[in-house]
Amino acid sequence: MKSVSAFRSPAREDQHDRFATKLSAGLGWFSLALGTAQLAVPRTLSRLIGIEPSIAASTILRGLGIREIASGLGLLLEPRRPVPLWARVAGDVIDLGLLGIAASSHRTNRVRLAGAMASVAGVMALDVIAARGTQRHFEAANRPVIYSVTINRPVQEVYQAFRDFSRFPQFMDYLASVQELDRVRSRWVAKLPIGGTVEWDAEITDEMPNQRIAWQSVEGSRIKTRGSVIFSTAPSRNSTEVRVEMQLGFTGKAPSTLLAKFFAKPQIKGDLRRFKQLVETGEVLFSDATEFRRPHPAQPPEQVQRRPKIFEPRRPTAEKGARP
Amino acid sequence: MRATCWMGKKHVSVEHVPDPKIINNRDAIIRVTATTICGSDLHLYNGYMPTMQKGDILGHEFMGEVVELGRGVTNLKVGDRVVVPFAIACGNCEQCELGMFSCCENGNPSGWMPEKLMGHPTCGAFGYSHLTGGFSGGQAEYVRVPYADFGPLKVPRHLPDEKVLFLSDIFPTGYMGAEFCEITPRKVIAVWGAGPVGQFAIASAKMLGAERVIAIDRYPYRLKMAIEKAGATDAINYEDQNVQEVLRDLTAGRGPDACIEAVGLEAHGHGVQYVHDAMKQKVKIQMDRPLAVREAIMACRSGGIIAILGVYAGFVDKFPLGALMNRGLTIKTGQCHVHRYMKPLLERIERGDIDPSFIVSHYMNLDDAPKGYDMFMHKQDEVMKIILRS
Repeated sequence: MKSVSAFRSPAREDQHDRFATKLSAGLGWFSLALGTAQLAVPRTLSRLIGIEPSIAASTILRGLGIREIASGLGLLLEPRRPVPLWARVAGDVIDLGLLGIAASSHRTNRVRLAGAMASVAGVMALDVIAARGTQRHFEAANRPVIYSVTINRPVQEVYQAFRDFSRFPQFMDYLASVQELDRVRSRWVAKLPIGGTVEWDAEITDEMPNQRIAWQSVEGSRIKTRGSVIFSTAPSRNSTEVRVEMQLGFTGKAPSTLLAKFFAKPQIKGDLRRFKQLVETGEVLFSDATEFRRPHPAQPPEQVQRRPKIFEPRRPTAEKGARP
Repeated sequence: MRATCWMGKKHVSVEHVPDPKIINNRDAIIRVTATTICGSDLHLYNGYMPTMQKGDILGHEFMGEVVELGRGVTNLKVGDRVVVPFAIACGNCEQCELGMFSCCENGNPSGWMPEKLMGHPTCGAFGYSHLTGGFSGGQAEYVRVPYADFGPLKVPRHLPDEKVLFLSDIFPTGYMGAEFCEITPRKVIAVWGAGPVGQFAIASAKMLGAERVIAIDRYPYRLKMAIEKAGATDAINYEDQNVQEVLRDLTAGRGPDACIEAVGLEAHGHGVQYVHDAMKQKVKIQMDRPLAVREAIMACRSGGIIAILGVYAGFVDKFPLGALMNRGLTIKTGQCHVHRYMKPLLERIERGDIDPSFIVSHYMNLDDAPKGYDMFMHKQDEVMKIILRS
């Protein structure tokens, strides 16, 4: 039986992690120095990497310099966070691409250019090492919980409401449908912001009624996800704490909490807020402005866009809670 | 229908907009019979509240007649006469169960915005920026009221609009300030700001039995009303007098037992402090001018209570935390939990303990709302409270 605890004890920092942090700070100083040089003496620098100085080359180098300084500051302020380091890796890829484009021109010094590309590749290797090290540490030190919410209803009721997956589209507005194929498997269809849909199957890997439900996408899915939702009674209240843990991955990569935090957290925050509204008040509340997906003034709509469905309505009484 | 819309800084106009419709099952549509311009609407008018959009319908103090109900509302009937609390609260969440209705966890569909700015979400409100949900306001012919099965209070026919309308916000707000002060018969209460909320705070403090209530403002006509109508025992005009010295004298050095601040983020004042705050606010590195709060903290007796009713939006600077800590003061504050006070205060009105209509100074047609805003803003014609009717 798996533990239902949502927390991990603080991770011990091992030697690899300390090395990654030091490397990260070093790369930060390197970024600052390189960025300053790109901003201050772009012509000298472009000669050094074998590109004939020109206004275009200087402009590009200055732009890269600003990016380099920003990423340097990011690293120095947060040397233990993996995101600025992955951003550096992305920057390295861009730099290699730009150098590749330059190599196709005749007015370049091929030898110097090859040297420049080798240096970028070398730094990129360091970036990847540092990023992986800090990420390992970050994931060990941080709760895998993406988001949590307290719902003012008993745990049985909240669990029942959640267990009916077919109702998910009522509070997860990017879902077109969720169909339960059997007790374990379900088919998920999500609407894409660019139009069209994406479909995947998921299976429940662990279910402990009123405590925990865990799922993962089945082998071969385009969306790789695994996660769990933990339910527990809030201390000294008859309400329920709901915690979502989740990992997300793309083709060829293992699902990670970091990716889930980066890509899925904003959505999950809204989903949980709406789920809470549904269970507590019986419906998702829309205002005149939030009825629209785009900014809209607080004015009645010409036509009602989205009429929410009632979800096990619970009659409130006007007297309840009023303590004159 | 016609509605008062925010069109930009210091620009409101009455526009033709679509009629409101039932969106949620717990909605009601109300035909507005009386609405008012609130002092806090002036913060929107002057552009101090973030997240306003051109075309937003203003107004959060209104009453009227039920004309349509969602199928989830069973306690109201079409034709009922109701006063609507400005706060949109669900009545189901933990904060509502605790009576903290203005911190309702469900009433604000844009809850993530206040959560970013203030740490946790706050309730929705009518016509008060997109930070409070982007709900249309009540300075209009009709308005949609969410959670209509929980918020609106039915009022008896024999009480005229101007006696019950202020139950929607300012009367409960002023009363909550007085309640915060833990008033016992011998207590001395000082009230900063003799606008509508300040008047109700003064009247409520008297109603709860305070011995002495001191009003502080800069408009003689407001101080006159505080003394003649609301029941203040003393008045201080801060343009002519040194507030700290006068308060010291009036209390023989102790300071008031409790201070109510009914001013908010556009406080006026004198000297370096005022110029410093006003400049920071102008260049948007500070959202609020907390002059009255600072003054109240310095004046209050050691161990006393500061009740903050004025609206604040963000972070402030030069806050006398040292005085607050070393002299053991308590701050009590919050947007009014209107739902908590509507019924008991209606009973007090019915009993004749108080007649809230004393603050009404002008009646206008809804079409004249822009003129009303301008007048209220510039305190012309001894304006205190304007009632708009369509």
